[in-house]
Amino acid sequence: MQICMEDKDGIVVCRLRSDVDINSSPDVRNYFERLTRDKKEKILIDFKDVDYVDSSGLATFVEIFKNMRTYGGKLKLMNLSNKVRGLFEITKLDKLFEIAAQEADALSSF
Amino acid sequence: MAGADIEDRKVVAEVKGLVKDFGGRTVLSGIDLKVREGETFVIMGGSGCGKSTLLRHMIGNLKPSSGRVYLLGTDITDFEGAELDDVRKKIGMSFQSSALFDSMTVGENVSLPLREHTKLEKSVINIMVTMKLELVGLRGFEDLMPSEISGGMKKRVGIARAIAMDPKIVFYDEPTAGLDPIMAAVIDKLILDLSRKLSITSIVVTHDMKSVLGIGDRIAMLYEGSVLEVGTAEEIKNSQNATVQQFINGSFDGPISFFQSKADYLEQLTK
Repeated sequence: MQICMEDKDGIVVCRLRSDVDINSSPDVRNYFERLTRDKKEKILIDFKDVDYVDSSGLATFVEIFKNMRTYGGKLKLMNLSNKVRGLFEITKLDKLFEIAAQEADALSSF
Repeated sequence: MAGADIEDRKVVAEVKGLVKDFGGRTVLSGIDLKVREGETFVIMGGSGCGKSTLLRHMIGNLKPSSGRVYLLGTDITDFEGAELDDVRKKIGMSFQSSALFDSMTVGENVSLPLREHTKLEKSVINIMVTMKLELVGLRGFEDLMPSEISGGMKKRVGIARAIAMDPKIVFYDEPTAGLDPIMAAVIDKLILDLSRKLSITSIVVTHDMKSVLGIGDRIAMLYEGSVLEVGTAEEIKNSQNATVQQFINGSFDGPISFFQSKADYLEQLTK
């Protein structure tokens, strides 16, 4: 799983480059575990290139959220396709995560 | 889902010319069926008509005497061992008996396929188990033992386990057998909800007519090892086939005979 990271005025923007499924979610978990170990306070995950997230992926994002909450960090998501957004809705995770439609909105909302 | 719409979808499970002989007796005689992506396909028929045997062929548990079985575009007829395991990871199976492990908690039963077949961390698996149990309405029951929950709840735990690995297809063997009418309706609704929400293809073997007509996008009537008819619930209800009508109406009189003829009886006695 390739993830591109950039810092935008203290906000860590992580762009996922492929689907998050049972094969790739351990990599995603390891990647974000490093960021949460460093207590990054603002993380924005970009789903623009993601067509599908399975339940292991959804659970991984919940774990990242839980880890960040322990030190008061904020996690936001953006650019979810209708299909991926639907997967968050089915599992009611759309009520847990702040999901922005566009990057500018997401960045200004931190 | 409309019948015409289904015909446009890709085939995810198929049996071609499937024949099964057990000890000289033909149990399935040339079955041809296609199940399409996202549909709820019901295989109905009386006890001993071969429907559970057909299901066991479709998941690779039995090998046909002749004919082929395809799952998700792959011919699995001759698959064994690791090859078959790889295909099975993409399907879920809900057993008639629920088949929970009595020595494991509800949560451990649901997490079993994830612990056995993935490298996911325990913390991630625990979150997945909570999500799956929420989908079947049993969140909060993680720590109970199977002996501490009702038959209907066991069925739901079995379904949560069947969807643990996000399968493309879930097979249900008599999902409402042994349940009271309300719990049977709960299971039917759950099967439909999961199919719709998670885009799962459901293949349901049952003789429960309420279930058949309530959940089937398409229905196949199996009788004496052959497919008599395939159609939507409306088409099956309006079938001109006397055997189909006898079955859906639960009539004693009709082509399906329950007793040997008197002539056979006397012949056997005097032979």
